[in-house]
Amino acid sequence: MSLEAFAKSRDLSLGVELELQIVNTQDWDLSPQAADLMRLMQGRRIPGDVKPEITRSMIELATGVCTSHAQVVAELQEIRGALLDAARRLDVGLCGGGTHPFQQWSRQRIYETPRFHQVSALYGYLSKQFTIFGQHVHVGCPSADDALVLLHGLSRYIPHLIALAAASPFVQGEDTGFHSARLNSVFAFPLSGRAPFVTRWEDFNVFFDKMARTGVVSGMKDFYWDIRPKPEFGTIEVRVLDTPLTIEKAAALAAYIQCLARWLRTERPFTLHEDDYLPYTFNRFQACRFGPEGTYVDPSTGEHRTLREDILASFNRLEGHAIDLGAEAGLKLLRTELLDKGNDASWLRGVREREGLLAEMVRQQVLRWAG
Amino acid sequence: MDAWTWPQPPGPPGEVVWLAAVLVAGALMGEAIARTTRWPRVVGYTLAGAGAAAFGLHLSLPMPDTARWVIDLALALLLFEIGTRVHLRWLRHNPGLLATSLLESAGTAVAVYAVLLLLDLTPAVAAAVAVLAVPASAAVAGRVALELGADGQVTQRMTHLTALNTLYGVLAFIVFKGVQMADGAPGWWQQLLALGASSLGALVLAAALALAVARVARRLDLRHESAVLLLLGLVLLAVGTARWLGFSTLLVPLLAGLLLRNTTDRPWVWPRHFGTAGGVLVLLLFVYLGALWSPGLLAAGGAAALALVLARALAKGVVVMGLAHWSGASTRQALALSITLTPLSAAALVMLGELWLALPALAAQVAPVLLTALVVLELLGPIAVQQAFKLAGELPADGREAR
Repeated sequence: MSLEAFAKSRDLSLGVELELQIVNTQDWDLSPQAADLMRLMQGRRIPGDVKPEITRSMIELATGVCTSHAQVVAELQEIRGALLDAARRLDVGLCGGGTHPFQQWSRQRIYETPRFHQVSALYGYLSKQFTIFGQHVHVGCPSADDALVLLHGLSRYIPHLIALAAASPFVQGEDTGFHSARLNSVFAFPLSGRAPFVTRWEDFNVFFDKMARTGVVSGMKDFYWDIRPKPEFGTIEVRVLDTPLTIEKAAALAAYIQCLARWLRTERPFTLHEDDYLPYTFNRFQACRFGPEGTYVDPSTGEHRTLREDILASFNRLEGHAIDLGAEAGLKLLRTELLDKGNDASWLRGVREREGLLAEMVRQQVLRWAG
Repeated sequence: MDAWTWPQPPGPPGEVVWLAAVLVAGALMGEAIARTTRWPRVVGYTLAGAGAAAFGLHLSLPMPDTARWVIDLALALLLFEIGTRVHLRWLRHNPGLLATSLLESAGTAVAVYAVLLLLDLTPAVAAAVAVLAVPASAAVAGRVALELGADGQVTQRMTHLTALNTLYGVLAFIVFKGVQMADGAPGWWQQLLALGASSLGALVLAAALALAVARVARRLDLRHESAVLLLLGLVLLAVGTARWLGFSTLLVPLLAGLLLRNTTDRPWVWPRHFGTAGGVLVLLLFVYLGALWSPGLLAAGGAAALALVLARALAKGVVVMGLAHWSGASTRQALALSITLTPLSAAALVMLGELWLALPALAAQVAPVLLTALVVLELLGPIAVQQAFKLAGELPADGREAR
């Protein structure tokens, strides 16, 4: 099986997917009601779409192809409105956050489709541990080669994105000490991590064919990389973000990625090199564990800074691009939040500290997501 | 040399021995059922009681004090708990569900009344049975869902509809009893005044209980056994007080639960049925319910009880399924939901006990029909409810117990 051709897409266009938690309004544990939400959403006209995910207490929404931060915000608002209507009729809550803080994954149920059952059979308990909730951002690329170049350029900013979006400090009732514990679950999968360092599509095809010949993969969907090309859409897909607690934050993260992409594309600020990946897993771990306070090792100079410093520096660098793209409001939201409380993980820890009850924390997450 | 004699017991075994025997028998049967079948344990508890009744140890009205207390307290826990799981705001967001709740209760009463009139029962008896048939079983619903780990729309709606039809049933019964007692008597307005006063008293007591629980919950971690015991004590104290002052022992805990859930936003997390201590009471409740039958009772109540069961199931089925689309449920879910509402509530037994004290002649005619239906539904109900959850896909995939 060979890889499909890379579709055409509009340069720097955006698509946002959010995996949401479905919780009951009683003890605020996960509740397997995706099929009910899907039924009530039938016939509702919304931009983008809503679909079930592997576990029945998760639902995924996606915007259509957007060109600007404002359009992402508008589409997310419309989809959220429709979903909240359905959720109210069912008396369930919807919320962001990369993990549910106290659900027992051994109790999660798999959604009834052949693909999901196949995944479940292959990965066993890992697939239930995969009851985690992420945001995926697609960025449109004019060509397949451009997509690979952008992918490796953006890789330097994966730690920044992880630290900003981290929203999963609690797993199965415990404070993990991590800002994003969700990514620890992703790393357990055999084909997670980073894409191989190739910057031309024909080389990527060679890599893919070799992998396919081993029988380990049959399509791009079998790779759980931090960023992966999506030939079907003609995009690259950033997958390290925890689902934020608000749609405004989700749109802002998409805007940040769009600005980074434009900066990388137009200014070509550094030359790509395989060695850029030497500190990659170290940086990524620091971001997951410590969030903005983590150490960032600059791949070119070897300099050590905090992620917070490097993120703030990147905001300054991107200012002109943000103005051109109409993304200033998004970057401003991220900057304010970073300087104020840090990220969603810190917010969650704060609520837990104040209320002492994880169920109450989930209730407040639901309120925040409803806006 | 004196002949050796078998030592004689000093007297008949006391209440405690009987109670312990009931507990052991119920727990043993429950485990036996769980091992040999996939049915819920409560079937075993009820069978233990039914078995005892077959050997002549049946429970007859008016009930002995111990049984009354156990049933009152167990039911209070279940009603308080189900009350705390009712989110009234949902009914505002989903008027179809509110309509379902009102119509399935009214429809049940009307259908049962009509069928019993057709079977030549007197209007007073038919009306009494109709009112007592309104509540669905909080015990079966709560216990089976918990044991099987059911979760989803059917479970959620069953909880709400059961709590609400219990509330309607209890209120209707208070009015019915008042009207019957006042009938023709000269001081009928005094009767009504007393009725109003005791309802108000129940509300005040319920509010006090809700407030006390909220205070405790704010300061103690209710997931700890010791804090739960305090909670259990509060509920039992409120019910004991209600019984002392002559308020409804059903209304007080149910209202307290409803108030607690709907006046505060903070979630109330405690072990279901208040942990082991509450679990013992619930087990005893099922054994006692199983022990209610006797051959004479079945013969007297048989046909009318069967008609009651069918009319009731039909009324609930028609309303729930008819309003499925409006309330946002699928047809399959609505069918499952109407099945989960068929078990008859032990609250009916408590109300029958109250009727016995107030109007013994009427209660004596009501008892055979109601008790027969209660025993039959208590035995078959949990299995039907389990199948309904399975039909709705709300059980964990492997079918084993979730917790």
